[in-house]
Amino acid sequence: MSEVLAIEVEGLVKTFGGLRAVAEVDLRVPPRSIYGLLGPNGAGKTTVVNIISGFLAPDRGVIRVHGRETHGLPPYRIAREGVARTYQNIRLFPGMTVLETVATGAYHRRRSTILGAVLLSRAERRERAEVAAKALALIERVGITASPGALAETLSYGDQRRVEIARALAAEPRVLLLDEPTAGMNDAESRQVGELLLGLRAEGLTLVLIEHNMRLVEEFCDEVTVMNSGAVLAVGTLAACLEQPDVREAYFGKRSDARRIETLRRARRG
Amino acid sequence: MNLAAWNTTLQFAGVSALFALSIYASLWTGVLSLAPVFFGAVSAFTFGWATMTLGLTPVAALALGAVGGGLLGVLTAFLVLRLESHYLAMATIALVLIGRVLVINMEGFTGGVAGTLAPGDLGTWFWCLGCLGAAAYVLARLRGSRFGLAASAVREDPAVAQSLGISPRAVQLVGFTLSGVFGGVAGVLQASFLQFIGPDTFYTHLGFTTLAAVVLGGAYHWLGPIIGAVVFTALPELLRGPLGEFDSIVTGLLLVVIIVYLPRGLVDLRRFRLLRGRGKAVVSE
Repeated sequence: MSEVLAIEVEGLVKTFGGLRAVAEVDLRVPPRSIYGLLGPNGAGKTTVVNIISGFLAPDRGVIRVHGRETHGLPPYRIAREGVARTYQNIRLFPGMTVLETVATGAYHRRRSTILGAVLLSRAERRERAEVAAKALALIERVGITASPGALAETLSYGDQRRVEIARALAAEPRVLLLDEPTAGMNDAESRQVGELLLGLRAEGLTLVLIEHNMRLVEEFCDEVTVMNSGAVLAVGTLAACLEQPDVREAYFGKRSDARRIETLRRARRG
Repeated sequence: MNLAAWNTTLQFAGVSALFALSIYASLWTGVLSLAPVFFGAVSAFTFGWATMTLGLTPVAALALGAVGGGLLGVLTAFLVLRLESHYLAMATIALVLIGRVLVINMEGFTGGVAGTLAPGDLGTWFWCLGCLGAAAYVLARLRGSRFGLAASAVREDPAVAQSLGISPRAVQLVGFTLSGVFGGVAGVLQASFLQFIGPDTFYTHLGFTTLAAVVLGGAYHWLGPIIGAVVFTALPELLRGPLGEFDSIVTGLLLVVIIVYLPRGLVDLRRFRLLRGRGKAVVSE
């Protein structure tokens, strides 16, 4: 492959006490793609995202973002390398409005200084206006219907997820890690998020998403990695992965289990 | 209470407000610190020594106190910011204790146990309100700025702040620098109003009453500490007439009530925004 990968993970290992949460995981995410990270609960998907974004230190393994090694860097340095993320359990700043929350995301794209802010210099005023305009545009783009002046924490569940996406996008990342972006959304809302992802990919962004909505994954993901019990089960298109027996087993249980369940059902009915 | 007594009380309220803003400046970035008392002690005794022994003019010595306080804030930040939340708070309390030991033992500089005199030239409304106004202005300007948003983010969720490229240490270093400047200026003014400072002038009592003022007024907006400091200085004076020495029971109870029912203090923008949001919802229905 001639092109540098957006994210390249090699031999990632992370243990919590005796539990191997991530065991020798490799991940190759091509740039400008929508990449799905799948697997049942407890498969280690969020742990992988936490390690890539620097929230957790890996026990072993190499991580490269656009060719630059990022493992061992503090999270704010990784963010400055162009990695942004959202959270499975929504994490907004209490007391902040939607607009303030999204503007906070623009932090490392801004040049404003303490002195400039205190003296309210011309550069400061211009930058504040630019940041506000960009934030408002993002708020509209991700489809938030509430007022930008509303407290972010009072929004509906779906809108709070959109605020997180807008906050991450305000940092103008090259890679966006989305941890269950459509959890709690209905089909129409989920599709809207999917369309948003397509638009972002078209602009050159790489998107990695943890997602349980298979229809969404099928429709929008270019490629997926399926994990189970901390290890990679399969890599490729969703259809190809679902052909593999061990993937089906991880998701739907063993064939013998299925047969047993079916027998039980019949027994109950009869 | 007569007019002259009120005058004095409110002037001290202004100085307390400056100390309260000093605590607020670091609290804004998520660091609970009583170091302002230490900053105040260092700059107050430097002020006394520089004016009385070196013959510096009070205004020049005030500037020295502000700059010295800021530098001390930076130094303290490098020393304590590697610690985690409550250990960090403990370390700043230790600074206050160390400050008293230094004051007692550096006799040539501080007057030791006997204390020292300080000129009263700056003990006027002009300097009191001027310095408080300047501090409030700086904080008000910073509130919606790049730094202000980052400070609030670090305070609410340092991990998420980091994922946005914000370095908590860098933000907290700024917070400590501001805290040092405000604390330094407050110390100089305190010395000017009292005209006599000793080892107990800047001690734990000052730290805890100021902290109580910040909690009462609200630690989420710069206006909170100012209001809290005024209430906490004026209320005991008002109550001393009818209640005698039981006034602190009332102030203590008030603090408990505030913590239970308004945990974010009297001035809480979040509460105002929630109420406003609710009002809007009612209107639109």
